[in-house]
Order: sequence, then structure tokens, then C-alpha cells
Amino acid sequence: MNEHRRQILEMLSQGKITADEAERLIAALDKSAAPPSSAAGPATNATRFKYLRVLVDSDSGRNPHQGPVKVNIRVPMQLLRAGVRLAGLIPPQARDHVNTALRQQGIPFDINQIKPDNLQDLLDHLNDLTIDVDANNKGGYGDEKVKVRVFCE
Amino acid sequence: MIPLVGVINVKHWPRSRSFRLWIPLFLLWLLLLPFAILLLPVFFVVCLICQVNPFQAIATLWSILAGLRDTHIEIDNRDALVLIRIL
Repeated sequence: MNEHRRQILEMLSQGKITADEAERLIAALDKSAAPPSSAAGPATNATRFKYLRVLVDSDSGRNPHQGPVKVNIRVPMQLLRAGVRLAGLIPPQARDHVNTALRQQGIPFDINQIKPDNLQDLLDHLNDLTIDVDANNKGGYGDEKVKVRVFCE
Repeated sequence: MIPLVGVINVKHWPRSRSFRLWIPLFLLWLLLLPFAILLLPVFFVVCLICQVNPFQAIATLWSILAGLRDTHIEIDNRDALVLIRIL
């Protein structure tokens, strides 16, 4: 029992406060002792969101050869997590080849430094990601409009 | 749990022309199981050559398979609607 709770009970026993007041004070204490919801952080989000959604809505204007196209993809987050675990299966020789190729492309990046935990964190924070692309292209058949939405749900 | 059924739904324009195909994936897994068992020693040897933990590899492949469940792909254009669902 912590110090504040003891003080409240002592005040109750001395008759300084009523039982109702003591109850309210203890409830307030419990509320302030509870961890804030944001402390749960990405883990809470990770359990909240189950899918990565990709929505594409394309309208090709007056193009007679191509009508509007709608794409709706729902990828389970579990599949992304499993895919991330594949990174741990890359053989050491292959990692060296990848590092060499990256350096040749001018990207000084060492994939040995990527740990599955890092990728897991990346996925956890992907929950907060929302990408909205709204593009208009002027072509021979008038305006071509493309809308892309990527989000978690 | 791994996916048990796949559904492919194609609707041609006009939308009255359509077909729906239910693929019993559980039968596919049952058919593939003997091959998987036969290939297991080869898989272990390849994993050892590549310095990859074979048990971790199996667990990862299994989780990818299990993660496919609830996948939904829908493509709709002027000519047809294609819907692929893994249940």
C-alpha cells in the first residue's frame, strides 16, 4: 500500500473525510497511477491494425481504349511481418554481394546492420502511415486522374 | 493457420457474365505434403550450405503461408472485374 492511500485511510478513520470522499480520492489515485495510453505505443497500434490497404482509382479521361480502373488490395499485416523475418534468412555470402552492389550504386549501406527487430519496429510504425497521391496528367485524351491511397486499418 | 480456400471471381462486361472459382487449398496442401516430406532432406542440406538455420527457415515459410490468409485483391476496369480472395 503506498503512502497516499494510507493517508486517505487514516483521514477516513479519523472522521476527517467521509467514505464517499475516500473512495473518490482512491479512484483518482488509481487513475493517476495507471500508465498513459500513449506509453503502450506501437505495440497497441500493432494489435489494432490488421491490414495494409492500397487503393488506386484511375480515370483515363476520354481515352476510348482505356476506361476507369480501380484497384483495391488488402494485405494482412501478419504477411508483412512474416516477410520481414525473411531478412534474417539472407545467407552471409548474399549479404556481401548486396553490400558490394549497393556500394557500386553509390549507396554506402550495410545490410548486416539491419536486424529483424529494426524491421519489426518499422512495421509497427507503419500503422501511422497514410499516403495520399492525387495526380492529374494532361494527355491527348484529356485529363487523366489517378488517386492512390495507402493506409493501415 | 494456413489458408484453406481461395476464391477467384471474374466478371466480364456486361456483369451478368461471370464465373466464380473456389479453390480448396487444403486439398492442395494435402497433395503437396508428401513432396514436402520428400524434399525436406534436400532443404536441410541447402540450408546448411547457405548457413541458414533450417528450422528458422521453415518457421518463416510457414508464417508467410499463414499470413496469406485474408488477402484480398480486387481489380476493376471497364472490361472486367477480377477478385482474388484467400480465406
